[in-house]
Amino acid sequence: MILRFRLNGEWIECEAEHNETLLDLLREKLGVKSVKRGCNVGECGACTVLVDGEPVNSCLVLAPLVEDRSVETLEGLREKPIMKELIEAFVEDGAIQCGFCTPGMLISAYALLSKNPKPSEEEVRRAISGNLCRCTGYVNIVKAILDASERLRGEG
Amino acid sequence: MRPLPRFRVHRPESLEEALELLATLEKAKPIAGGTDLIPLMREVEVDVKHLIDLSRIGELNFIKEEGDYIRIGATTTLSDLVESELIASKAPTLWEAAASMGSPQIRNRGTIGGNLCNASPAADLGPPLLALEAEAEIRSLDERRWIPIGEVFAGPKVNSLAEDEVLTSVRFKTPPQGAGSAFEKIGRRRAVTLALVNAAAYIELEDEICRVARLALGAVADRPLRMMEAEKRLMNKKLSEELIEEISALCSRLVRPIDDVRASAWYRRKMSRVLSRRALLKAWRRCMV
Repeated sequence: MILRFRLNGEWIECEAEHNETLLDLLREKLGVKSVKRGCNVGECGACTVLVDGEPVNSCLVLAPLVEDRSVETLEGLREKPIMKELIEAFVEDGAIQCGFCTPGMLISAYALLSKNPKPSEEEVRRAISGNLCRCTGYVNIVKAILDASERLRGEG
Repeated sequence: MRPLPRFRVHRPESLEEALELLATLEKAKPIAGGTDLIPLMREVEVDVKHLIDLSRIGELNFIKEEGDYIRIGATTTLSDLVESELIASKAPTLWEAAASMGSPQIRNRGTIGGNLCNASPAADLGPPLLALEAEAEIRSLDERRWIPIGEVFAGPKVNSLAEDEVLTSVRFKTPPQGAGSAFEKIGRRRAVTLALVNAAAYIELEDEICRVARLALGAVADRPLRMMEAEKRLMNKKLSEELIEEISALCSRLVRPIDDVRASAWYRRKMSRVLSRRALLKAWRRCMV
């Protein structure tokens, strides 16, 4: 089937299978490699993307269901002020080890800070509760998100 | 993990169109958020040829007051429930249940209709909707009926709907001023967790006397259960911590739990008592604020 949706701000048309997930479409057909395949059943969050601005697991979304909708990944968000600050803070705070969870983690953090510029530590932890990291133990990830939010408010 | 079956996706824009597709296509199933259905299809063989996407049907997505009722459309997401002032203020039991479910990613896709129709015995929206005495609106091309929410559940992961039917909305009487309700849950961790046991309570007081008491538990039988015996013993009584303790102990005998991968029946009985007490106490306190 022909599928039409907005990918990182640009309308695209592509061929998609009925039983293909958004994750497969993005990675395998459209070459969007920041979106990672982890568990494939909606538990690890490595495949998190924004659909109409909200974070979702792309492994649980059938590609045909995003017709007419907006899909955003790290490739399209990396130059946005909030994301630039998050990426910098992740690097500075050592919030990355193997890096596999990082894109999904950044998307969840981006969605949080877009809605809530001054989150508490608890709110940060809840926002990334659907993103598993097996390396860093979350301490530095939480710190990086809080640091980024401070700097965005001009307090850092 | 198996590949997804070879189905076709249909994307109706109206309920009428969706019902027609369900009535005419063979082996057709509705899909809303897909957060239960997609993992299920990866785990076991699901015999499906057509998926009918309900997420584009505007008339199924709403939360509104309608006469004496609060009515919620089937494709309302868990995030929509959590963001609703009306649900937070009038039905905190439902709000707490929705907020406890999955991750932000799951709550953004998962729907109230999907949680009910998936019919998991541990469905977190089961107990609060039972405690609110909610009804489900079931539609097919030529029929529209309201059934008590408990009747949606026919057994573990089996709903009672016919193949051409869709659960289109849920409604419950708007709780009056002074009513209190609460939800409690035990899982392996605080977020992104399936309930080992969940519980919901709803209480109405009149001059300190309990005039309405409803208590429901989940993951303790093949479907969410009302604790009718316990409710009877709270009726027309002056509530106290002692009475609630006594009633909660009774609940561990009213449930019919099984051993499974997540918890033993023994543990679930114990936790039925603990969660009944917590939910009743919290609902009672909320009557008084």
